[in-house]
Amino acid sequence: MASLLFRGMLTHPPILDCIPSLFSRNVCARYYRMGTITQAHVATQESQSSQLKIPPNARNNSLERLLKDYEAIIGIETHVQLSTLTKAFCSCPYNYGSPPNSSICPVCMGLPGALPVLNSKVIESAVRLGLALNCKLSFNSKFDRKQYFYPDLPKGYQISQFDIPIASAGYIELDLPLEFGGGHRKFGITRVHMEEDAGKLLHSGNGNYSQVDLNRAGVPLLEVVSEPDMRNGIEAAEYAAELQRLVRYLGVSNGNMQEGSLRCDVNISVRPRGQSEFGTKVEIKNLNSFSSVNRAIDFEISRQALLLSQGQGDQIVQETRLWEEGSQKTITMRKKEGLSDYRYFPEPDLPEVILTEEYVNKIRGSLPELPEMKRRRYEEMGLGMQDVLFLANDVRVANFFDAAIANGAEVKLAANWIMGDVAAYLKNEKLSIDEIKLTPHELAELIAAIKGGTISGKIAKEILFELMAKGGTVKKLIEEKDLVQITDPSEIEKIIDKVLLDNPKQLEQYRGGKTKLQGFFAGQVMKATKGKANPGLLNKILLEKLNS
Amino acid sequence: MGSKALVMTGGVISMTNHIFSFKNSFSRTIIIPKYRRVIRSCSTVSSGSSLLPPDVSRLAETARISLAPNEVIEFTPKIQQVIDWFGQLQDVELQSVEPALRADMEGDSLRADIPKTFENREAMISAIPSFEEPYIKVPKVLSKE
Repeated sequence: MASLLFRGMLTHPPILDCIPSLFSRNVCARYYRMGTITQAHVATQESQSSQLKIPPNARNNSLERLLKDYEAIIGIETHVQLSTLTKAFCSCPYNYGSPPNSSICPVCMGLPGALPVLNSKVIESAVRLGLALNCKLSFNSKFDRKQYFYPDLPKGYQISQFDIPIASAGYIELDLPLEFGGGHRKFGITRVHMEEDAGKLLHSGNGNYSQVDLNRAGVPLLEVVSEPDMRNGIEAAEYAAELQRLVRYLGVSNGNMQEGSLRCDVNISVRPRGQSEFGTKVEIKNLNSFSSVNRAIDFEISRQALLLSQGQGDQIVQETRLWEEGSQKTITMRKKEGLSDYRYFPEPDLPEVILTEEYVNKIRGSLPELPEMKRRRYEEMGLGMQDVLFLANDVRVANFFDAAIANGAEVKLAANWIMGDVAAYLKNEKLSIDEIKLTPHELAELIAAIKGGTISGKIAKEILFELMAKGGTVKKLIEEKDLVQITDPSEIEKIIDKVLLDNPKQLEQYRGGKTKLQGFFAGQVMKATKGKANPGLLNKILLEKLNS
Repeated sequence: MGSKALVMTGGVISMTNHIFSFKNSFSRTIIIPKYRRVIRSCSTVSSGSSLLPPDVSRLAETARISLAPNEVIEFTPKIQQVIDWFGQLQDVELQSVEPALRADMEGDSLRADIPKTFENREAMISAIPSFEEPYIKVPKVLSKE
């Protein structure tokens, strides 16, 4: 219904004035329904797999139609909270969830006379991320003061980097999930710079006061600014997911959007296709998950394209909007009068940040295999895209997989076991692959045992469960539980003969035409052998006997 | 290159394109003796300074300092003098000099990533004017400006 209305609007602009409210109600309703559909998928978001799980039907028809006529230019600013032990400029420890104002000192409180001293780990993390994003490093950079007043900013300025960031002009490569059409993308990275976080400001429900917790003040951040290369919600959400993958691979941050250690702000403008000028840029904040990044962008594209198509493009103003998870729409924040004047000037209390070739090369040499390289290597190993994306998503899973291969496991089989039974177990028990008792070596042993015919696939599944829960070795378990497969045809024949003897009625029914009873006999043989009979041999011999 | 130094001072004192109705002659006649003593080397105020006059009202607003209109009038020439004093740097010949990012400091002065709890938290907390365990109580400010 809404799409009909919309088509009507595109061709009959004058009618627009009467129906906009009706349309917007429909759009909101659709997006709200989408919200409930994707609720279950948001829940899986929280698990260690950071893959997008939004059903394809969430991209509704009117959005598709809009994207034909309009183009969205999207850029993302991401703040990555580093997982260093201490804050950026003082030795206070930082632990998420500590009692408020328990981890403070004169430096991070901005008390008079206190001076900042840079944490060497911050430079190391910045260089690691800069190199991983293929950036050019500034061997000489500096800190600047970004000045503004706000209750969670103790010093009245934030120590940041303004005109000379530590890294710039890089790119990130990723693969879009198959459920969204797949495809390879390369997005530019404008810059990466170091800065400090502000404290936490909590607004009291009633009352005219707020509360400040300075535990977080001074925690080091890396701000990653992308080029405006993304064109839709999926690309933007996957960019954020890949950044998260990257910082986790590098070990510089735990990248949890829920905890606030990965924060994304989206900048989006919409213009008619073919127009060379950019539209008005709108910033969207308060995005707490990859799916909200996706949905907020889709909503904003619709909102702006609708206004443009109605000739009301001037109603799109340069502003900051908040994404409201409940109503699934963006709303205006308090309108700002004029641009912010941060009065940047070089931080006089901190020296230049100087990098040497030696230092950078050492770090470059210590970088792990990055997600993009892993995906390309897995592809070359012959794995399909679905498998590649799954295995390379979590670095711990990838390491487990690599270790199993190193222990001799066959590539496709190892992938299947990990993506199937192991993944299901991890999900049920809410564990990560590092926490189960199964070792890559034993997985390789298990696969070899099946291949060698020692055990059947079904038995292997049982052993796997035991190995994951309690550990141990494949060899020992097979011995202890006497699980060796019976592959001697004469032995199987003996058992089949007995089963046929014990079930004359069913045998008669089978001979009378009820051929489905073959399954029944097979089941009985399996029961008699405690599942150890080789299924292939069993059925072959059984069929012979039944039809003789 | 002198202009770079000027940009830095310009950054501190936020210059806007707001045009002031004050003329340079005005600033020349109001020269406070106190300033003369402090700025020894500044014997003459540079005539027709190429530097923009300071927008003192905006300056005060960004620094969150309230000024009465007469104070704005009083302070503008004084601040102008400080700017002009720095403005002398424009005369330095810097064609062949590589711009420096920072004044040189000894060594790296970096810190190892080892946690240390500050021993006198109680003294800091007791110095907070409005502390409501465990938060610092502040007036409600909604917009970041």
